[in-house]
Amino acid sequence: MNSLDFSIIQQAWPYLWSGLLFSLALTVAAFLIGMILGTCFALVQHFEIPIVSQIVRAYIALIRSIPLILVLFWFFFLVPIVLGHLSANGRPIPIGATYTAFITFGLFEAAYYSEIIRVGLRAVNKGQFEACQALALSTYDTYRSVILPQVIRVASPIILSQTIILFQDTSLVYVLSLTDLVGAASKLAQLNGRLVEMYLAVALVYLVISSVTSQCVASLRKRYAFTGAHR
Amino acid sequence: MLQQRADRPAERSPIVVVESLVKRFGSFAALSDVNLSVAKGEKIVLCGPSGSGKSTLIRCINHIERHDSGRIVVDGVELTDRMADINSVRCEVGMVFQSFNLFPHLSVVENCMLAPMKVRGLSRSEAHDRAIGLLRKVRIHDQANKYPAQLSGGQQQRVAIARALCMQPKIMLFDEPTSALDPEMVKEVLETMVELALEGMTMVCVTHEMGFAREVADRVLFMDRGTIVEEGDPDAFFRAPRTERARSFLNQIIH
Repeated sequence: MNSLDFSIIQQAWPYLWSGLLFSLALTVAAFLIGMILGTCFALVQHFEIPIVSQIVRAYIALIRSIPLILVLFWFFFLVPIVLGHLSANGRPIPIGATYTAFITFGLFEAAYYSEIIRVGLRAVNKGQFEACQALALSTYDTYRSVILPQVIRVASPIILSQTIILFQDTSLVYVLSLTDLVGAASKLAQLNGRLVEMYLAVALVYLVISSVTSQCVASLRKRYAFTGAHR
Repeated sequence: MLQQRADRPAERSPIVVVESLVKRFGSFAALSDVNLSVAKGEKIVLCGPSGSGKSTLIRCINHIERHDSGRIVVDGVELTDRMADINSVRCEVGMVFQSFNLFPHLSVVENCMLAPMKVRGLSRSEAHDRAIGLLRKVRIHDQANKYPAQLSGGQQQRVAIARALCMQPKIMLFDEPTSALDPEMVKEVLETMVELALEGMTMVCVTHEMGFAREVADRVLFMDRGTIVEEGDPDAFFRAPRTERARSFLNQIIH
């Protein structure tokens, strides 16, 4: 292994591409599940719904104190057993690596997004709620049309950086023997012995995707900014 | 103007009735035994030192503050804890806040369209037409597509007035609408309020703008420590207040 040979990347590209698609699909799915569930979690706590809000708080505290890789393991090995106990014949019901990955990442990210939204909700000026009351808006319309859009906009930089972390974390699916971009690269690297080229190429892909996303969001924010002397 | 006053609005049917109203914040009595009757078309100015309960009183009228005891009847509907009652009262009562409270993520015209569409069930185009009409009335329709942060304080407050009017309320409450404004912007907001008053809107205004009170108010109520201490004709009140508390308050605001 003397000099770098990047022609290997070209040959490996179709396989890497399918790995990348899996990473992106997992990121998008976990983002959607996480945001929807996380918003619900945040609202449950915001409204201080008895019992449910305590359960949600405990869940978030638990998830946030455990490494994602452990959660993946547990989910993969324990949930089939639990499901088995719940079913009639008592035998474990496998849910498969792909489902495990999508569900676990969604549930895991929900805890983080929920904290972001919860803090954002607290940051909304009390006058906004009063204006909604004075206009006779229902609680649903108040949150749907006035409060949450402001929370999402204010919190979007933090939501974005959490999502970029999520995108990078998707490489952990190797513990479930799933092949994402990193997994595809390392498998090929071991086959052809071109570790450096492979990992450089993969790092470049992550760099490009993460920085392009950041740029897009920054310019979107500029266009739809409502900052300034608002009261 | 004097002729209009001679036709005492107080003798017409009341649209807001407040009886023995009590509101506490913990052990502090913000309102103790307040009675008030507002006739249809009447313009009332509420004044008094800060903490006297004037804002709390008008915030109870549309149930932004929940009262502890007493009765509030707005346009024949008694305010109870039932959401249906609260909403039917809020539909008839518009409110303008000291800090405008426009929705920063919506354009000026969208601010005005939201509640008519969601609450009154107007279609998008109906709500848009109504919003533009009322923005024209407050002379700000040329800014309809801007966002609140792009407007001056006075313009924002006029948008807030238009937004409240889009619900076609029977009563308008103003909670120190000019207190957060730079002096040169106070006039444009007061002019809008005077126009509204001349059109016959029922108005309850918490304000220390004496010129406004003199020009449009039918009655001035002076509040102190949670009760209405003095009420009367604005000219008489500002020229010769009867109570010592009102006298010392007026001395403080005129310098």
